[in-house]
Amino acid sequence: MTQDVLAPLTTAKWTFATRRVDHGLIGGMDTAFAAARPGDLILAQVESLGQHQRVQLSSGRPSYIYPGDMIVLACGARYAPDQFEGLAEIDPDGADLLAGGGCIGRMVARNERIKNATRLLPVGRLLDDAGEPVNLDRFALPPTDRTNDIPVVFVLGTAMNSGKTLATAQLALGLRRAGYKVAALKGTGTGAFGDFNEYSDTGAHWVADFTDAGMVTTYREPLARVKDGLNLLLGHAAERGCDIAVMEIADGLFQRETGALVADPWLRDRLSGLVFACGDAVAAAGGVAELARHGLRPDALTGILSCSPMAAAEAMSATGVPVLRKGDLADPAEANVFALRAFAGTRRAA
Amino acid sequence: MHRPISQTSIARLRVASPSGTLPARIIRPTILSDLRPLIVLHGISRNADELVALFTPEAERSGRIVVVPHFAQRRWPHFQRPCRAARPDQALLALLGHLAVMNPAFAGPVDLFGHSGGAQLAHRFAMLYPHKVGRLNLAAAGWYCLPDASMTYPYGLGGDATPGALCWARRHEQALPAYLRLGVQVFVGTHDTDRDDSLRQCPDLDRIQGHTRIARAGTYVERFRAAARARGILPEITLIRLPGVTHNVAQAIRQAHLGRLVTAGEPPRLAAAS
Repeated sequence: MTQDVLAPLTTAKWTFATRRVDHGLIGGMDTAFAAARPGDLILAQVESLGQHQRVQLSSGRPSYIYPGDMIVLACGARYAPDQFEGLAEIDPDGADLLAGGGCIGRMVARNERIKNATRLLPVGRLLDDAGEPVNLDRFALPPTDRTNDIPVVFVLGTAMNSGKTLATAQLALGLRRAGYKVAALKGTGTGAFGDFNEYSDTGAHWVADFTDAGMVTTYREPLARVKDGLNLLLGHAAERGCDIAVMEIADGLFQRETGALVADPWLRDRLSGLVFACGDAVAAAGGVAELARHGLRPDALTGILSCSPMAAAEAMSATGVPVLRKGDLADPAEANVFALRAFAGTRRAA
Repeated sequence: MHRPISQTSIARLRVASPSGTLPARIIRPTILSDLRPLIVLHGISRNADELVALFTPEAERSGRIVVVPHFAQRRWPHFQRPCRAARPDQALLALLGHLAVMNPAFAGPVDLFGHSGGAQLAHRFAMLYPHKVGRLNLAAAGWYCLPDASMTYPYGLGGDATPGALCWARRHEQALPAYLRLGVQVFVGTHDTDRDDSLRQCPDLDRIQGHTRIARAGTYVERFRAAARARGILPEITLIRLPGVTHNVAQAIRQAHLGRLVTAGEPPRLAAAS
């Protein structure tokens, strides 16, 4: 009797990070986990539940997981100060669910306030008919000839959960209400549908993230590859007729890839507007000072800070940068200020 | 004699926006020209029905689609300008966005016409969203937001201490160059001289913009030209006096052909100043 090694895939839960994968290309599996590289598809079995009790399905809904469930994820690193740091390494004896969006690897650091990672038993590395590992990069958006020339408003912040995603979504909403075709893009981070769906709900003309550029995460990816991914997304946004893009860059200014991007001339060249999300006035002052060190000055502060009129007043006084609440960003009159500034190319130097 | 029956259709529409629902009538002529759609904004008499009747022949003649929103008193006690109390601009944007789904002509700039309070809304909408406006037609506005800092907001773009005024002035300021590049026609009746209750009166407004709608229209046109030239923009604004017309839009349309002046194709644009 022959055994169908792919049979477990038929009932497996395919995670959000694998949503672009053509399942028909899967022809086999191996267990060469030591050779796995970031983006390789891994079939794993849930061994024990920890922090993540659910995964995000490629269909766009969350799914509770139970010991014994089969899941398809991508090997990847993770940088999430509120959760884990992890590396793109698969231990055959057991791996960690680093992100519910579908990132499997080895946890190396954990925020004390959360549980241990959900443990996974690697079952196999997915291969194509030729025996080659199936990697997410194979399913990236195709290269585009279109110049990625649409204006970009970047959304940066002090840290994870400082309000960047909300700011990105609300600004996209405001621009859409003002009559623009907007691309809402997640430029860096680890694949998850929360941000993607939040952007989509605004009616943005096109929504994409770095997984569309073939990466499960941008953490520990070479800067050149990260920038190629950003250019690919912007090129496709332009090709799809978008007038303007709002792009969120994950984590804080001192995070490895974000810091490198902020320091890179690419960002200054592509930047048509800048929103900075932060939690309080001191963080605002620090962020504005750090950005100034790179020749950048935000057009607006937002985030948790903007919920408090007192904190907002302190931040405005300390930095001279206006503070916008989420309702302001979603206001077409306010959002249009970003668009008109972007189209006029009249950004202020720091 | 056989007389062809006009097939011009008038459809009703209601569009929800974050600041309220706005009903409108869409006048669609039998034969469409390539002229931009025209949005017609009523004044404080809220005479949308009358404007539909007055602009239907003009839509037929010009081949333009004409849209007449109705800011009803109950839902829109304030509609002449975007402010904390009301956001008619959001309602107009929602209307245009809704229409654009069905007709791409509404995705690009549309022409605006407003009379009295409608002219106030029209020019303030254009100041905020110049990319949505083709030609701006302002008839007999009671007062204006001057495109300079000679008066504090909402009379001009000068700042005062209130955060709301600063916020709105900042929003208008950013859009100013694009606004000053618009083609604008300003209309006022030669007999529109009453200083009645419907005309806002205060010392600074009277002193700077003038005592009557005629004087205020002249001031606005002058300031518009000066602001444009100060930015190297060749202003394309015209002041048209309507002979014998009082503050009455029906009279202006019937007697001075205001509707035809608004719906006619625009003259060729002049090259921008260097």
